[in-house]
Amino acid sequence: MNCLEKDALGPSQAILVVGMRMKALSKLEWLKFVDRLVNDSGMEIIGVKAKGESFVFDRLKSADELRLDHDVTILPPKKVFLPVTEDLMTYDLKGQVRGERTIDDRKRVLIGVHPYDVIAIEQMDEIYLGSNIDEHYASRRLNTLIIASDIINVSERSFAASLGTHVTDSGYDLLVTDIGDTVVVDVGTKEGRALLKKYGSARDASKKEADTVKCWRSDLPTWFARRAKLPSSEWKRVLDENHDHPIWDENSKKCLTCGTCTTVCPTCYCYDVDDKTDLNLKEGKRQRTWDGCLLREFTLVGSGEIFREGVKERYRHRFYRKGAYLPDRKGFVACVGCGRCAYQCLPDIADPSEVMNSLASYNLHKTVEHPVPSVEHPEIMEDLLIPEPATIVRKQKMTELETLYVVRLDSGKELGHAPGQFVQVSLYGIGEAPISISSAPGGKEFELLVRRIGDVTGAMEKLKEGDKIGVRGPYGRGFDPKEMQGKNMLFISGGCGLAPMRSLIDYTMGHRKDFKDVWILYGCKEPAAILFSKDLKQWADVDNVKVLTTVDKCPDGQCWDGNIGVITTLIPKVAFDPMRTIAVIVGPPVMYKFVIRDLKSRGMPDENIIVSLERRMKCGVGKCGHCQMNGIYCCIEGPVFKYSEVKNIPEAF
Amino acid sequence: MKARVAIFDFASCEGCELQIVNLEEKLLDLIDIVDVVSFREAMKEHSNDYDIALIEGSIMRPMDEERIKKIRERAKVLIAIGACACLGGVNKLRNEWPVEEVKKEVYGDALLEGNKFFDVFPTKAVDEVVKVDFYIPGCPIDRNEFAKVITAVALGRKPRLPSYPVCVECKKRENICVFELGQFCLGPITRAGCNAICTSFQDGCEGCRGFLDDAKMDAQKDVLRKYGVTVDQMMKKFNFYNYRKGVL
Repeated sequence: MNCLEKDALGPSQAILVVGMRMKALSKLEWLKFVDRLVNDSGMEIIGVKAKGESFVFDRLKSADELRLDHDVTILPPKKVFLPVTEDLMTYDLKGQVRGERTIDDRKRVLIGVHPYDVIAIEQMDEIYLGSNIDEHYASRRLNTLIIASDIINVSERSFAASLGTHVTDSGYDLLVTDIGDTVVVDVGTKEGRALLKKYGSARDASKKEADTVKCWRSDLPTWFARRAKLPSSEWKRVLDENHDHPIWDENSKKCLTCGTCTTVCPTCYCYDVDDKTDLNLKEGKRQRTWDGCLLREFTLVGSGEIFREGVKERYRHRFYRKGAYLPDRKGFVACVGCGRCAYQCLPDIADPSEVMNSLASYNLHKTVEHPVPSVEHPEIMEDLLIPEPATIVRKQKMTELETLYVVRLDSGKELGHAPGQFVQVSLYGIGEAPISISSAPGGKEFELLVRRIGDVTGAMEKLKEGDKIGVRGPYGRGFDPKEMQGKNMLFISGGCGLAPMRSLIDYTMGHRKDFKDVWILYGCKEPAAILFSKDLKQWADVDNVKVLTTVDKCPDGQCWDGNIGVITTLIPKVAFDPMRTIAVIVGPPVMYKFVIRDLKSRGMPDENIIVSLERRMKCGVGKCGHCQMNGIYCCIEGPVFKYSEVKNIPEAF
Repeated sequence: MKARVAIFDFASCEGCELQIVNLEEKLLDLIDIVDVVSFREAMKEHSNDYDIALIEGSIMRPMDEERIKKIRERAKVLIAIGACACLGGVNKLRNEWPVEEVKKEVYGDALLEGNKFFDVFPTKAVDEVVKVDFYIPGCPIDRNEFAKVITAVALGRKPRLPSYPVCVECKKRENICVFELGQFCLGPITRAGCNAICTSFQDGCEGCRGFLDDAKMDAQKDVLRKYGVTVDQMMKKFNFYNYRKGVL
């Protein structure tokens, strides 16, 4: 039914203002316009083309390849701005190790983007350009003009109309509507207007043409077979209330964990980075490729721990990320109802409208909230992903597994870190690893304690003094010593947890007057694994500082006359006033629960407990997604947290 | 000093070794970073002094077993290449029948008694006989993955195979799912790394790279049933490269 034949128009939200900016081209003129773009503009023209019975965005060779009647493309147009695989930089392994940024700033026009994909691109812009600008994304995005197109055929699994994403009034340079013999063009930006003027001969659209477009848009919702019952503004509430809904269990049993839902999603933005060295071992490229939270090793860290291993947890995470975490963080639901995941999922369990509809009709009313701590992130202005050259000044073997490196940036600048922050250490051809800084702030040199555990840390051990490494950072929220001033300090660390803790302890020792009594509790597997024993001795000599150490066991052949037992056996030995003491805990994941339990039983309030958590920090700048604990990015909101901020976060401990 | 590499074949079509020769100009890079000291398919020379042994093919006979054990003793690093070496591959299909029956079927009444070349036992993958350090799976192996594993070993990095299924690479290549084309596919349970070569040519995955350690077999069977695949068809498909690893 055409609304021109009706007096009353459809729901007002679907009707967009169409007025003076409407232009029109005959079909022939439209094809000429596209052909001129392809042949004369010198730009790369990417449009929707047929692939079998499906559609894809691909480089156009002529206008007749372009389709405006597509229902949906297999992959979303985000691939133009964030390619499936892209080079971030090249490196040279011969002689001096160096890295050079690869930037793609080719001018492009992208034709045939449906409104839901335009909105998805606006969301991607918010992620990649909103803060900590990603230059690789930016150079593609800012050099591309978008010619959007109204939906002519609705995809069978799309529910965009329920979310209001079947139409849009922003995010495009031109928006075209194929109304038969004529293509009506809505001019969105002056760049769009200039493009149309330069390569096309458009006239003003007639009132009838403008009305036809208006009617088409208002009628469009009736063509959608699928509906989400809940408005997107309700998704977060319903998800928060249904964290333990049986659907997560039931559906995840059918899940192949094939990652298709995240690969085809227009709003998924997680990525992985890997070094690809040429077979000649002389040069290589650091590449970024799409990654997805459904895949098993998404949260794998160097020690072999996988933080979100269960299929149910992975399956659920995807829905929460889209429906709860991003609304919290950015204010939008990261689903535009394109239906790609639903259509492509073989077991058919990925459809957000179906899952949300099930949750809406069966509410358990057991609310689990995932608040994101409000942290001021300093804007990172440097090249986000390109390391700075640095030199290993000194190297000292600490234990069988651990080595301390003293590092200096080649630029001569100070690193400028806060205690508890970390850097990304880069070895070209091997990769990057997040390493916490173990020296106090200040000075041109900084110290990294590295446990030999994975590729980067293993290769690093083979480096000599004077050798080069790459460094990015410092990253993350560190400890805030100012907040701890005037308090007693209780440091509790296990294993190499002492490394990040040392930066704060050294700060405390350097500002001794600002703090009251200090206790340092340190536990290790065995005497031979004890780190910073010289430091431990020095700290113990300072007034009103008490150092207690323990080992889990003392194997034959090692010497130990101190305490034997896990770290919690040291806590009863300390008489602290729980209200006037700050406890700082850093250690292996298993340690936190037990230490926190014992501190709380001594009456310590949650606000006085500070933890630093380990996760897979791959990018360090809040984008790649690997370090997420529910809605929190460990790399920017952490790694240091107040216990009160994370105690209710299901994935934190 | 350059690592010394030897390439050996057991029961196989030698197609994986051919993939190495197919590196073409990159082969020159390879021989620049390692010394190839034995490679029957491509050179006459042979030496028993090597660091890295690349093994193609499956183990079928007592004499193979003896030979692979010797190679293992000599090599610091042993890498299985191709489905036959990594999984047993298509050679394992004959394990469905007793050895004597198979011999009779193939060689009829020929007198094989006492001939060590025909003294066979049920097919084994290489790691059923000796320790394998790294795997380069596939039928045949993928040249890029071969280069990746070799450069990793040369740089002292642990070569890691993808832990996700072929679907990831297939979707990234923007293929139409072969289930939509009326075929069936083992992509969702098979280790990626082939860049979805078969499905990119509209041919369902046969699982030549082996199933993932955490392959979701039940979910895969549900999907196959949904698309009307019979138990018999499923069994044949599962067994083709992964004999008795996809038990119904």
